[in-house]
Amino acid sequence: MTEHQKTHVVGTSPERIEGRDKVTGAATYVDDIQFGPNLLWGALKRSPIAHGLIVRIDTSKARALPGVRVVVTGEDFPGYMGLYLKDRRIFALDRVRAVGEAVAAVAADTKEIAEQAVALIEVEYEELPGVFDPEYGASPDAPLLHPDLGSYECVPFVFPQPGTNVSNWMKVRKGDMDRGWAEADLVFEHKYRVPHVQHVPLETHVCVAQQDPNGKITLWSSSQSPFAQRNLIAKALHINHSRLRVITPNVGGGFGCKAGVSMEGAAVALALRAKGRPVKLRMTREEEFYTTFVRQGLVATIRMGMTRDGRITAMQNTFYWDGGASTEYGVNIARAAGYSGTGPYFVPNIHVDSYCVYTNHPVGGAMRGFGMPEIHFGIEQHIDVMAHKLGLDPVQVRLKNCLKDGDETLTGMTMHPTGLSQCISKAAEAIGWGQPSAPAGPHKVRGKGLAAMWKAPAMPPNPGSSALVRLNEDGTATVSIGGVDIGQGALTAMAQFAAEGLGIKVTDVRVNTVDTDYSPYEWQTVASRLTWSMGNAVLRAAETARVQVLTAVAEAWGEDIDDLDIIDGMVVSYKTEESVPLKDIAIYGVQRKDGTFVGAPVVAQGRFMPDYVTPLDAETGQGPRAVVHFTTGAQAVEVEVDTETGELQVLKIVSAFDVGRAINPEMVRTQMEGGAVQGMSTALLESIILDRGRPRNPNFTDYRIATAVDAPLETENIIVEVPQDDGPFGARGVGEHPMVPTAPAIANAVFDAAGVRIDSMPLTSQKVWEALQG
Amino acid sequence: MTHRIQLTVNGEHYDLDVQPHHTLLQVLREQLVLTGTKNGCEAGECGACAVLMNGEPVNSCMVLAPEADGAAITTIEGLASDAQLDPLQEAFVATGATQCGFCTPGILVNARALLDRNPDPTEPEIREALVGNLCRCTGYIRIIDAIEMAARAGRKEPVQ
Amino acid sequence: MQPFDYVVPQDFAEASALLAAGDGSVRAFQGGTDLIIRMRGGFLKPDRVVDLKHLPGMREIRLSDDGWLVIGAACTMNQVGLHGVVLEHYGVLAEGCNSVASYQLRNRATIGGNLCNASPAADTAPALLCLEAVAEIYGPAGVRRVPMNDFFTGPGRTVLQAGEFLIGVHLPPAAGRSAGAYNKLGRTKIGDISMVSVAVNCAASADAATWRIAIGAAGPTPLRALDAERSLGEDASPEGVARAAELAGKAARPIDDIRGSAAYRRAMVQVLARRGIEKVLADLEPASRPTPPLTGGQS
Repeated sequence: MTEHQKTHVVGTSPERIEGRDKVTGAATYVDDIQFGPNLLWGALKRSPIAHGLIVRIDTSKARALPGVRVVVTGEDFPGYMGLYLKDRRIFALDRVRAVGEAVAAVAADTKEIAEQAVALIEVEYEELPGVFDPEYGASPDAPLLHPDLGSYECVPFVFPQPGTNVSNWMKVRKGDMDRGWAEADLVFEHKYRVPHVQHVPLETHVCVAQQDPNGKITLWSSSQSPFAQRNLIAKALHINHSRLRVITPNVGGGFGCKAGVSMEGAAVALALRAKGRPVKLRMTREEEFYTTFVRQGLVATIRMGMTRDGRITAMQNTFYWDGGASTEYGVNIARAAGYSGTGPYFVPNIHVDSYCVYTNHPVGGAMRGFGMPEIHFGIEQHIDVMAHKLGLDPVQVRLKNCLKDGDETLTGMTMHPTGLSQCISKAAEAIGWGQPSAPAGPHKVRGKGLAAMWKAPAMPPNPGSSALVRLNEDGTATVSIGGVDIGQGALTAMAQFAAEGLGIKVTDVRVNTVDTDYSPYEWQTVASRLTWSMGNAVLRAAETARVQVLTAVAEAWGEDIDDLDIIDGMVVSYKTEESVPLKDIAIYGVQRKDGTFVGAPVVAQGRFMPDYVTPLDAETGQGPRAVVHFTTGAQAVEVEVDTETGELQVLKIVSAFDVGRAINPEMVRTQMEGGAVQGMSTALLESIILDRGRPRNPNFTDYRIATAVDAPLETENIIVEVPQDDGPFGARGVGEHPMVPTAPAIANAVFDAAGVRIDSMPLTSQKVWEALQG
Repeated sequence: MTHRIQLTVNGEHYDLDVQPHHTLLQVLREQLVLTGTKNGCEAGECGACAVLMNGEPVNSCMVLAPEADGAAITTIEGLASDAQLDPLQEAFVATGATQCGFCTPGILVNARALLDRNPDPTEPEIREALVGNLCRCTGYIRIIDAIEMAARAGRKEPVQ
Repeated sequence: MQPFDYVVPQDFAEASALLAAGDGSVRAFQGGTDLIIRMRGGFLKPDRVVDLKHLPGMREIRLSDDGWLVIGAACTMNQVGLHGVVLEHYGVLAEGCNSVASYQLRNRATIGGNLCNASPAADTAPALLCLEAVAEIYGPAGVRRVPMNDFFTGPGRTVLQAGEFLIGVHLPPAAGRSAGAYNKLGRTKIGDISMVSVAVNCAASADAATWRIAIGAAGPTPLRALDAERSLGEDASPEGVARAAELAGKAARPIDDIRGSAAYRRAMVQVLARRGIEKVLADLEPASRPTPPLTGGQS
């Protein structure tokens, strides 16, 4: 699909289909569902230490407390689980590896009794030396956190190093490094540090699990991945998938932390012993900060060679990922960093090592950008550093080196057509690149910075999407999907695809939320993949439904199908000008001249799975097609620095992203705005402060996120459209990408304004002030 | 020890037995099953639980249940009247100011109170009024736009 | 939270008797914005909370016969910070109150709670030190008054004994011309707990200027910067302002914690003090500086 196809609904910006529910308080989230007086309250007993053996657990006092119905420990549920590497249990069994790790759970009649019961569980630990730094963790000196690493089930594209704390070592080797360094006029190396941050969804993790008398388990879950939850929990508990039903209503934000499985397995474990009573497990905000998922920390060493005219000749990048107690998800982030490890540039000589390292820190998982914000923080500052040292314009250097159609990426994949250059140019132009900032007040300086990015959906090679479309008697269409609206607008986008594919109004489309008993399969709502992948499935289903309708009408009217169309829910013949409302025939069929009926009910399916992603060589990371595609883009930022206090004011953020085709342009812009502010927030404010594994700030008092006052004074959103060959109408995802370049763009702007370079996040006022002191 | 309290919520009168260690948030969500008001932190920081108490916005997680005796409470469910949305609600839909929607009820209630006390706020005043309502999805930009839009649309009388 | 009893005493004596247990089993309760969080987190497990808000005068702001402004201890931050007399004559206190958290939290948080919680970062404290406010305390032995300057004894600690509670804050009659400024530094632009804060107030008469400078979140308690005050009183020229700001920085006794380092805090005290002094001088123009010669000391 290379031309800009004419569309009626796609490319317009109808309001969110669930918007009215949300503004009236009618939208249902898991904690809103009523379960009646039999509901049990779950609570988890958590480890107070970062690393140690569990010597003894005594649950007798908890069991004896009136109102306590279930108490379970790791011994009751020893099975392993994990998305890419099965290195986790529902409850710790022989040892704990992070402060906050669950070692037992209770279910009780009230929240108060559950809390009391947890306090009555006695656990004796033998504390062990801990690992609190990934470089140390990867060294031979570090204690071994997962001695059984060699026996863990693992997907074929992840490479654990048994006998070490390295759960994945992703290597990329290309070209000739010696020649690359020799060709360079400047070689420079620097280390950049990114701390742990948390996603901070406004709705914390929450789920309710219930087993019926025949053994069927229902799990109501605020999840990005109902089908993955079903898969992982079923496997961990050794039950068939069809015995576990996952229902997901509205989700109050995820950003990746509600992908995979975190504490939902514990709720199911409790439900299995609760004699049919439903069990609710809801994370407090404090628990949310460090016991579900966090974004891994990163220590990155970037080494770059550049000619005096700004051409990158070589890069040697080493990424040490602070993976935490379990890296079942984090291993793929290390991998993604590997195959993206140059940033969005053509680099002929490349050496990347990306290590996922076990540490005694909170469990790292997927967070918006999946490794890209972390590695771009270093790469995008480094490009600026090199440019400045050579007296070159950083924007020009990027334009010179950024990947173009046909270039080979660091894994040997041919880059597809991309608007990356356009994004860089347009972002630079919109921020007024080259024009000095307007003068500011006393003790204030202003500057501009830009950063580019790329990201591919990080997935196994076979992630599937499917959809069902059926028509109703009132002319509406019901779309059933397995993907989740976590705020990104998935339901609305799918409604637009269905409306476009069928020929009906978008207001006549209903999109169901997920119930794995009824919804067709979707791998996960991650990776910015739904518009592209699930969109294909929905579009195919809608187009199939349309063909069903038109085939029947053609037969009944004795016409050529090419002379027929469906427009706004009306079936029309261009030839005879006859018409019939879709609602009249969708269920009951079209009547032939002889009085018989044909062609109903209308129900259609669609599915999509990429079939071209190839494995990469374990030693070189080379392969014909590492990923499905890359979304590229850039952000340009203007900041003001208070040189007396180090405070930063973000004046303007310009976002420019190549989305292939904007299905709903306003929703695309809202992703750019939200991502930019979340990126800005992590850049300026956020880190989980860990003191030998103990989180010091798991609360909103001391983990600050951007408020309405901190949001930039101005934003500008630029949509670039270079179609994706296998995207629906050319569309590509953009949900994560606007968070990726924000931090380095801000850091580059701070350098422009004040002449100081901050190589670690967050760029707090104190850190900026300290840098200004010299 | 339970306390018997009387209160009105969205114009409806209630006689309730409440536990002193429960908050108004729990009373609304669990006893009255008005689940539009959300639990985001239970620490008075995020604003997801904001309601109007005698016309003034409060974080309902910071009000003990017995303290609600004699109060007139307005929740998100009470913003619309006679199936007609408040101009703020219409504006949120029009500008795309909701994404996941979890912060939306608290912000709408707080914004309603803002426009009641300051019908023509400047942008800095809007931002400052929202400082205790955290949003992670939208970046606040369209929320601010929506409140400006609703301020222009106006409203005849403030919510009681 | 674990269950507790909620009691509303009918008079001061009953309240005092209830609070006299002194062993943590009974807690005073007003806005609850600190207490509820600690109870929910399991850090405090009282058997009973005593709601003081409804006692006579606790939620009132009134002028006494001798011109003092009496603020009931259970007045909310918004009540105080948006009060006409406070805004007009005790602006530095209004700024302190209005800097706390959010508008909706300020509808619950009380000035008494802020003071009795006694965080070194309490936002009402620096202003009250500058205004030389007096705490009115009720206890088993009746009413006593303690200057705000002596009220705080350590981080989270005050002079309150078992059975005692704050009933009001008394502000002396405002000088004819005065101006004040409260500057605080947080991580987010507004609404944060102070990383460091400085209140500056100046009461100006024809021949003298009385400066008060108080520092928050940079010591075990809120602190007055006495040397800075004296120096500024003698010399409020630009050089004098810079010197006073430096002295304010020296008066600070900050620590390193997760919000900021001691060195940064000390440096910021100096910056915020200077900015506060400059703003106050600008507000007092044109006759902000007394004509020489100056007498020593402050009134």
